[in-house]
Amino acid sequence: MAWTWFHRLGSPPYIYSLAGRLTPWFAWPAALLIVAGLYDGLVLAPPDYQQGDGFRILYVHVPTAYMSIMIYTTMAISAAVGLIWRIKVAHAVAASCAPIGASITFCALVTGSLWGAPMWGTYWEWDPRVTSELILLFLYFGYMGLRSAMEDMQRADRASALLAVVGIVNVPIIHYSVVWWNSLHQGPSLMRLDRPAIQVSMLVPLLMMILGFTLFFVAVLLVRLRGEVLSRERAASWIREAVTP
Amino acid sequence: MAAALAEARRTRTPATPLLTAAGLALTRDLRLAFRKRGQLIQPLVFFAIVTTLFPLAISPELSRLRDVAPGVLWVAALLSSQLALEFLFRDDASDGTLEQYALSGQSLSCLLFAKTAAHWLLTGLPLAIMAPLAGLSLGAPAAAVPGIVAAVAVGSVALSLIGATGAALTLGVKRSGALLSLLTLPLAMPVLIFGARATELAIKGEGYGPPLELLGALAVLGLTLAPLATAAGVRVNLE
Amino acid sequence: MKELSDFFDMGGYAAYVWPSYVLTLIVVVLNIFWARRLLARSREEARRRLAMRAGGGETP
Repeated sequence: MAWTWFHRLGSPPYIYSLAGRLTPWFAWPAALLIVAGLYDGLVLAPPDYQQGDGFRILYVHVPTAYMSIMIYTTMAISAAVGLIWRIKVAHAVAASCAPIGASITFCALVTGSLWGAPMWGTYWEWDPRVTSELILLFLYFGYMGLRSAMEDMQRADRASALLAVVGIVNVPIIHYSVVWWNSLHQGPSLMRLDRPAIQVSMLVPLLMMILGFTLFFVAVLLVRLRGEVLSRERAASWIREAVTP
Repeated sequence: MAAALAEARRTRTPATPLLTAAGLALTRDLRLAFRKRGQLIQPLVFFAIVTTLFPLAISPELSRLRDVAPGVLWVAALLSSQLALEFLFRDDASDGTLEQYALSGQSLSCLLFAKTAAHWLLTGLPLAIMAPLAGLSLGAPAAAVPGIVAAVAVGSVALSLIGATGAALTLGVKRSGALLSLLTLPLAMPVLIFGARATELAIKGEGYGPPLELLGALAVLGLTLAPLATAAGVRVNLE
Repeated sequence: MKELSDFFDMGGYAAYVWPSYVLTLIVVVLNIFWARRLLARSREEARRRLAMRAGGGETP
């Protein structure tokens, strides 16, 4: 039973129509959650006793940082599925993830930098998490670069899938090596938000934003996925019905 | 082609034992490389030139250079090994040898590992010998030499393996230099971090054991995983 | 009105908070735009291929 469901997911026409039907179910709740989260975070939540109103960057920085890693993991897993079971749809999912992930990682880096400037006195700091995040951005670019350099779609899919899988091995290595490197150097101020416990009034908007961004990612992924699936089908008969308006 | 490759993997009953085949691949690469001796020393000359740039750009004072020496040495070593990577598969891919390796029924990862080993012998090992000289020129004390040799020798193993994977993935891409660097350098960053750290400790005269051991761990990780990824990359590009 | 100007001031951190939010908003909008554009282009491409197949016939 579960197996037929899995098989159906691998079928391009099924995915094409399913993704189209599911998109509004993710897009609208995402929009609602983000708007509500923005209002709650910007207006309702009380200012922080240490950082005043500046802490509100948290509500865009943390969701984007969390998403940057979540998206890469999704990309690597679907790439692995595509490699192992040779499922075109899985490759299409991975290809769809990359540009979203890269732009969100960039966003996480810049919002983090803007948060660091007033709080820690510098726009940039080579501390472990920041450095790892930057390298994650490079990994995304490498994936997209390799994909665009190869003309044959199948080859591009498989080569970039290999890269994504190898890259995921690298992510914990980079993170820990930079942690050890920093601790060996007795680096500068550790990036910590020291507060006894995060207040509910501060936490709720954050959770709304994280959930909202996750749903947003899925919605955008579904739209991109349809485009990617379509471009991988050459002469299939189902296309005629799907694209004639 | 894909069917032929799959068939070769399935049947796999070659006449030559694997170790002999790998040894042959290794010696073939070494012999071919020595025919073009000019090409052999290019990465090493590049390393020397890059190392020279820094005293010119920063300051000729040895005391200042000593502080940046670990970083300079390792960035130069990284860039030099990048240069040499383009030659790893290029000729064999264009004249069909790689296809023969893939169709031979021998383990492709082993054959490619033999090629990577040849590459390391031709670039990594000479780098490990040149690096202490460059280090001395940047103000490192003579006592640091064993540490620098050890760090670069072990680190370059990891760099060759990681680079081979990148080279395999970009096989079909023309003028792949920048893309190859974009792919390989992020993967090589942990090697850079620990290698530079070990070199720094060696220069200061302190114990460089822990980062060296971590370098070794990365090299072992590369030894186990990279040949598989390299073979997979070559197969993808041959199909 | 004082409250609104206070809100925009963000306790003095306006120069950091508002660019962060604006950038995030731009990234969100761009992602939506790029996704829809990709889908539209793929559909157009598929339509064109179908038309060629129907009108062109066999390959030379």
